[in-house]
Amino acid sequence: MSESVFTVPVGPQHPALKEPENITLTLDGEQIVDAKIRLGYVHRGAEKAFENRTYVQNLYLVERVCGICAMAHQLCYANNVEALLGVEAPPRAKYIRTIVAELERIHSHLLWVGVAGHEIGFDTLFMYTWQDREVALDLMERITGNRVLHATNSIGGVRRDITSDMIPQIKKGLAYLGERTKYYKKIALTEKTIAKRAVGVGVLKTQDAIALCAVGPTARASNIKRDVRKYDPYSAYDEIPFDIVTNDGCDVAARILVRIDELEQCARILEYAVDKLPQGPIKVRVPRSVPPGENVSLVEAPRGEDIHYCKSNGSDRPERYKIRAPTLANWASMKKMLIGGSMADVPIVLAAIDPCMSCTDRVAFVDAKSGKTWAWSYEQLKKYAQKRSER
Amino acid sequence: MDIIGLLIFPGLAFLLALAWFYEWLDRKFFARLQNRYGPLYTGSHGLLQPLADFIKLLAKEDIEPTAVDKPLFRGVPILILALPLTALFLIPMSGVNAFVHFEGDLIFTIFIMSLLAIMAFLGGWSSTNRFSTLGGLRAAMQTLGYEVPLAIVLIGPAIVARSLSITKIVEWQVVNGIWMIALAPIGFGITILATLAELEKVPFDIPGAETEIVAGWQTEFSGRKLALMRLALDIELVLAAGLTTALFLGGPSGPIALIPSVVWFLIKSTVVVLILSNLRALFARFKIDQMISGSWKYLVPLAILQIVILQLLLR
Repeated sequence: MSESVFTVPVGPQHPALKEPENITLTLDGEQIVDAKIRLGYVHRGAEKAFENRTYVQNLYLVERVCGICAMAHQLCYANNVEALLGVEAPPRAKYIRTIVAELERIHSHLLWVGVAGHEIGFDTLFMYTWQDREVALDLMERITGNRVLHATNSIGGVRRDITSDMIPQIKKGLAYLGERTKYYKKIALTEKTIAKRAVGVGVLKTQDAIALCAVGPTARASNIKRDVRKYDPYSAYDEIPFDIVTNDGCDVAARILVRIDELEQCARILEYAVDKLPQGPIKVRVPRSVPPGENVSLVEAPRGEDIHYCKSNGSDRPERYKIRAPTLANWASMKKMLIGGSMADVPIVLAAIDPCMSCTDRVAFVDAKSGKTWAWSYEQLKKYAQKRSER
Repeated sequence: MDIIGLLIFPGLAFLLALAWFYEWLDRKFFARLQNRYGPLYTGSHGLLQPLADFIKLLAKEDIEPTAVDKPLFRGVPILILALPLTALFLIPMSGVNAFVHFEGDLIFTIFIMSLLAIMAFLGGWSSTNRFSTLGGLRAAMQTLGYEVPLAIVLIGPAIVARSLSITKIVEWQVVNGIWMIALAPIGFGITILATLAELEKVPFDIPGAETEIVAGWQTEFSGRKLALMRLALDIELVLAAGLTTALFLGGPSGPIALIPSVVWFLIKSTVVVLILSNLRALFARFKIDQMISGSWKYLVPLAILQIVILQLLLR
């Protein structure tokens, strides 16, 4: 290596990162020649916590896996437990779930467009989108009672009904958001400085995206037509018409456009769901204990395919609960996107997969040399931490 | 009389007040463009916020990492403030004549503006922090981009007025009753763009790009040193606005004779500051290679074209 090569640590603390992760970049001038990615700074022990709580209590824990896709995780959990119980939510509940899930997608994508703008130094875009995102948050507050952690679902249905006076409000909000979406699309397509920073940056070719199992908008921006809502429909998605948005750009610009186009589809789904909202009950009563069994459920979270696995043993608590957040699937392709780019591209390429670290991080004990794995009790872990922090 | 001139008007006190006022104006206008409020609580409409920030930073702990190059690290904040303050005395503010003026002070001002970029590089280099080093290198490279077109277009008014003194150029505009911007509109545009790069503002905030390299060359500076450097940036804003006003907008003079010349200066330089604020709300940040190649591909030929047009006009 020549002398001009040096390493720059991005993270665990860095202004481009909203949550801790570490990427050690090897730079030649401004060009990235190598990148080492390290995760695991925000492990929270959520999966273990599931085993100590009842199924009803877990409804509120699972939301806290992610503050932005709270509804996606809770919906996935509710679907999972309902499948184990052998019950199905009533049609009206399914539609309400769809409505809240799509509102959440709108809020998440608007948030992301703003963050992307901030990462490339376009703070005005950030301020604009975050202001418009308030409309989606207010609608969610009107429907569920909460802006962020909605607690919409209960096992077997939803907690609160959509009353008839909410419908005009939802439609008014949607009309405004639709107008703003058109405006953002115009900006993304015509603003030259955005194009300069996004076109041809962080390229992930279609075959690489398939090989590295990219999911969600990241995969769709690499021209892979894949969406859980279509290939494994849940809630009301099998009845509602919408299109999978793809883009063959394979770069950051494509990821921006895919998300903005998805905003349009969200509005389309919402209009249909609000118009065709079926009458009837919003939940069914279910027993507290779940019969023994295993189930996997999938949900298309705003960041991509969210996988939950649940193993029940006949009691009122799950025996094992496993969550694979979409960010983990997208991390594998990060190295591919970074190498060959420049230091200035790092923030936007990182942000383009919409990473959510605390949803992703899990802990496992592995000896890297021998490949041996083991488990530690809480006491052992505490002892180890105390030993490490002794001076 | 000279002491009063040096310390109060149009000297230090006036310049500092102006610097903080323009920082407030820039922040407030930028915030309103982004649907924010901006400074709000300190003083009327947050007018005293920049001063409050300055005092707060002065009181903060001044951390000097062990690895820094101490003499340079301590010298840079002082020099970076002293240099633009010196140059400001060459700008006519309260009358056609500047406080200090001599034949060739335009060249001296351009020289000081180059020194400022070198100070940024030295500041980054002396910090021995990776982000600072990268930021310093970017600051130095950015200079290669904007310095040449800026110097060329600033010479344009000098060619028309047949003098290298800023004061003489202002005099020429007053005597002939025409502003340079009418003769050299391209020059005015390039000056504004180069000023954005000089002040490290969006879309040219590359040396201090927050999301990429933390605070760039300023990363290691804290407390008093950071306070001085932030003040220096405000003074640079006054310098840039003042120089643009003097060279292109007719300096401190206006069509209504009753209004004192300093008011004309304030009006015109405020307009320049608002143009700068407006521009930085419009764009995303360029990459350093895009900035330099764009500058050499478009700005330099345009600057030369401007000089050619001026020569043809003079004939």
